[in-house]
Amino acid sequence: MERENRFWQVILLALPLAIFITFVIWPLANSFYYSFTNWNGFNPDYDYVGFDNFLKIHTDQLFLNAAINTALWIVAAIVVPTACGLSLALLIDSRIPGGSVFKSIFYLPICLSAVVVGQIWVWIYQPDWGLLNTVVEAVSGEQFNYAWLAKPDSALWSVIVAWSWQQTGLSMVIFLAGLTTIPEDLVEVCEIEGARALQRIRLVVIPLLAPATVVVIALNVINSLKGFDILYTMTGGGPFNSSDTLAMHMYNESFKKYLMGYGSAISVVLFLIALIIIRLYFRQLRKVDALHG
Amino acid sequence: MADLAFVPEARRRFNPWPVVIFIVLAVLAVLFLAPTAGVLLSSIKTTRDIAFGALWTIPSELYWGNFAEVLSNPAVHRYFVNTLLVTAPATVVSIALGSLAGYVFAKLPFRGSNLLFLVIVSGMFFPPQAVLIPLFRLFNAMDLIDTLYPIIIIHTAMGIPICTLLMRNFFATVPMALREAAILEGANEWQALTRVALPLSLPALAVLATLQFTWIWNDFLWPLIFTQSDEKRTIMLGIVNLQGQYSVAWGVQGSLSLIASVPTLLVFLFFQRYFIKGMTMGAVKG
Repeated sequence: MERENRFWQVILLALPLAIFITFVIWPLANSFYYSFTNWNGFNPDYDYVGFDNFLKIHTDQLFLNAAINTALWIVAAIVVPTACGLSLALLIDSRIPGGSVFKSIFYLPICLSAVVVGQIWVWIYQPDWGLLNTVVEAVSGEQFNYAWLAKPDSALWSVIVAWSWQQTGLSMVIFLAGLTTIPEDLVEVCEIEGARALQRIRLVVIPLLAPATVVVIALNVINSLKGFDILYTMTGGGPFNSSDTLAMHMYNESFKKYLMGYGSAISVVLFLIALIIIRLYFRQLRKVDALHG
Repeated sequence: MADLAFVPEARRRFNPWPVVIFIVLAVLAVLFLAPTAGVLLSSIKTTRDIAFGALWTIPSELYWGNFAEVLSNPAVHRYFVNTLLVTAPATVVSIALGSLAGYVFAKLPFRGSNLLFLVIVSGMFFPPQAVLIPLFRLFNAMDLIDTLYPIIIIHTAMGIPICTLLMRNFFATVPMALREAAILEGANEWQALTRVALPLSLPALAVLATLQFTWIWNDFLWPLIFTQSDEKRTIMLGIVNLQGQYSVAWGVQGSLSLIASVPTLLVFLFFQRYFIKGMTMGAVKG
């Protein structure tokens, strides 16, 4: 029996592990390796440059700029879709008529690609006939032609709004799934005990949603680290790098300037950020597991 | 709330909250639909109408020229076929591999299997940029740049973590006794997996099919890196390419976006019934 189990463990794991190691783990390790070289992407030869690429990070103003934007991007991508998704889920869960219609409406943007979402929102921000300026003009009665995506002050935040619009539905669906696991009698007891709706939500529902919250935040972080497509299509990192993120900066250095060694160094930094998040995630997961079994 | 009518007279007060919540949700729903509605509206209007500022109004007559333009463009056909050739195999294979690994982690644990599981799952968090350059070099050396193979391979590999996670969590809810009964009846582990565990895991498979199909169909980064010629472009790159060609033909751009989103919308509608259930059992309960 023991030997037979061993046989099946090997047979079943061989292919998934082989592919995962060859195309994920091995390239990851190699990114570390290339970050110590000056490979240019075409020439088969390259030199070892030690820590030069990492020292360059220190003096690269564009890197600092991209790092700050990435931090803003990640924080916004966690806070906005999580908060909006939770609010929508609580509202829809209150047994109002048409709940499933609302659910589908709020979920719809998740089915759209970042490219399509980017295009939609470029039209909303379009200075002359975009929806946003049209509404502002209708309300204020004055001519309004602000170019949201072409101004360094507003470009990043405009993309974050578009991104949040798309991601909220996913958070909402997971919170709704989490709400179905909360025993109804528990909520009823609170009602009988006279807890008001907001108290009930704050003291009972939200703590019991902890497992769902962990999943939501994790997904939002994962997706935000991958938030390259929408920036690429909406602003391309501009104007004047004002919406540049590390993912964007890495792409530009590697595939526009062909500084693949330096690009690797940036990707190593990105991975280290991901590693911190992985650690936090597993620690939270263990805490939640301990509480909820 | 439904039994309001049976509440004694004294306690029957008007409860305004359902009405307030309904109105709030309705307003939010309209705001949420506005962007998508813009694309829908643009696709049935002439470029002239849009340029004169009429994008966001209901048109008096429908104009189908934009759809005709998109659907008769051979480049669009090619983009669609390419995307399907990437999405279908990568979705199926990543779910299959995740099922194999997930089954071992759920039903045949060994010393160190938990650690291995955590390593695989942490792959979910890896930013694609962290593997991009070495893969570019690898596929370049294999002479596979500007073919669809690198995209299929990388989506399969990057899909293994999430597929393994969900399948393991779902298989864990399948009682051990079922597997043991099958084994006692003379089935081997492969049959226990394919005939017992998998048929009981349809909700998880539906969730993964939806997620993987949507992610891969909508992906932009990998085809951007690994394809160069227009012949190998996928639909999302195609949209960006054609934006140049139809630079002010907003209606054509809108209908192209709509057509490109149809497959993922269909997949979601098709699997919607299972989606919440699978999410609840696979992800939230952990």
